[in-house]
Amino acid sequence: MGNTPSSHKISAQDRAILDMKNQRDKLHQYQQRITLITGRETAVARECLARGDKSKALLALRRKKFQETLLVKTDAQLETLEQLTSNVEFALVQKDVIYGLQQGTSVLKQIHAEMGGIENVEKLMGESEDAMAYQKEISEMLGGQMSNQDEDEVEDELEAMESEITGVKEPDAVEYPAAPANEPVFIGELKEVGQQKARARARAQERAAAQAAEPMLANP
Amino acid sequence: MDSLQSLTAESFTYPQSYSFPPFFTLQPNLQTRLSQLRKWSRLIQRYCRHYHIFKLSLVSALDTSLFKNAELRKRLSLNDALQVVDWMTRDEGGRRAEWIDGGLDAKGGTAWVYWKRPEEWAEVIVGWVEETGQKSTVLTLYELINGEMTVGQGTVSRDWRPKSNAHGTLDFHGMDPDLFQRSLAVLVKRSKAQVFGSEDQQGVKFF
Repeated sequence: MGNTPSSHKISAQDRAILDMKNQRDKLHQYQQRITLITGRETAVARECLARGDKSKALLALRRKKFQETLLVKTDAQLETLEQLTSNVEFALVQKDVIYGLQQGTSVLKQIHAEMGGIENVEKLMGESEDAMAYQKEISEMLGGQMSNQDEDEVEDELEAMESEITGVKEPDAVEYPAAPANEPVFIGELKEVGQQKARARARAQERAAAQAAEPMLANP
Repeated sequence: MDSLQSLTAESFTYPQSYSFPPFFTLQPNLQTRLSQLRKWSRLIQRYCRHYHIFKLSLVSALDTSLFKNAELRKRLSLNDALQVVDWMTRDEGGRRAEWIDGGLDAKGGTAWVYWKRPEEWAEVIVGWVEETGQKSTVLTLYELINGEMTVGQGTVSRDWRPKSNAHGTLDFHGMDPDLFQRSLAVLVKRSKAQVFGSEDQQGVKFF
């Protein structure tokens, strides 16, 4: 039972429980009354005893005893009534449990019906198994179709591909050491070229100077 | 009212203004008077809560320590008491009282003292029902008001003890049946409870 509007109705069981609980309340109030009376009788007994009236004190105590007897009986009735009330309430809980079980079972059956039942499941499993076996045969047939010639061609193609991959790698290997080798040589040559030009100019000047000296000697 | 004089484990503590003689005469100055009315309202509410009083009969209460300070030999007059309670019934007084019969015109009467209003009581009751796991259970009005389950000792969890009053019971234990009915009516209106059964043997089911 949730808090849905439909569950806000008061059922016949609710009214029955209310009646029992009201009866319990009545007994409870009766007990309170008796307790007051017994208290009062005790006080009366003390007063009479204080006045020396023993017989009246005894009478009051007898009335008190009688009231207490009633109290014991009422206690028993109250216990019986409370047990009955508790049993009824627990029975309601049990009813809810059974209802819950029924609901669950009903849903489960509905699901089974949608699945088609055990026969349908068995059939489905069989079909599934057959389909898998068929697929396996197809795979085997396809796997066995390749002839020796095709196999050789495939292997040749594989070797060619491997060769290509290896070939592509070599230029990479060659290029890498070449780059650092070139640059320092280039720089070195550049310096030598500069120096050579300087020396060439120096020698040219020397020859020019020498030629200039010779004509003066030839002229005299 | 006998309950006004009942002994309790804890005695009531009066505010400072209770020892101030002018407190027992409504003041002519409007601002002072307003402050005075507020203090009286608070005192009355606290006193009624402490002694678990739901209905206050002014004629009876005038001779109690609520309106009479024996040491000062001062007491609030009937007319002034009427003014105070009537102020409490209005919006400006927080609607902490409601005339049941009589009032200003009748020169006396009885009033509900709403130290908790019916709507506030409704929340307390629902909280207790949920706390004790009694939703969807049939409960009699008698057991709710007088039953052992609503007594503070033992069956009520520690969290609820602070809400007990000086009698050591939950606030709504021993509540006036009429006021309790009005609180339930609030819950019925909100579809949180359903009251059923014959006139004097009613029960309630909480949802």
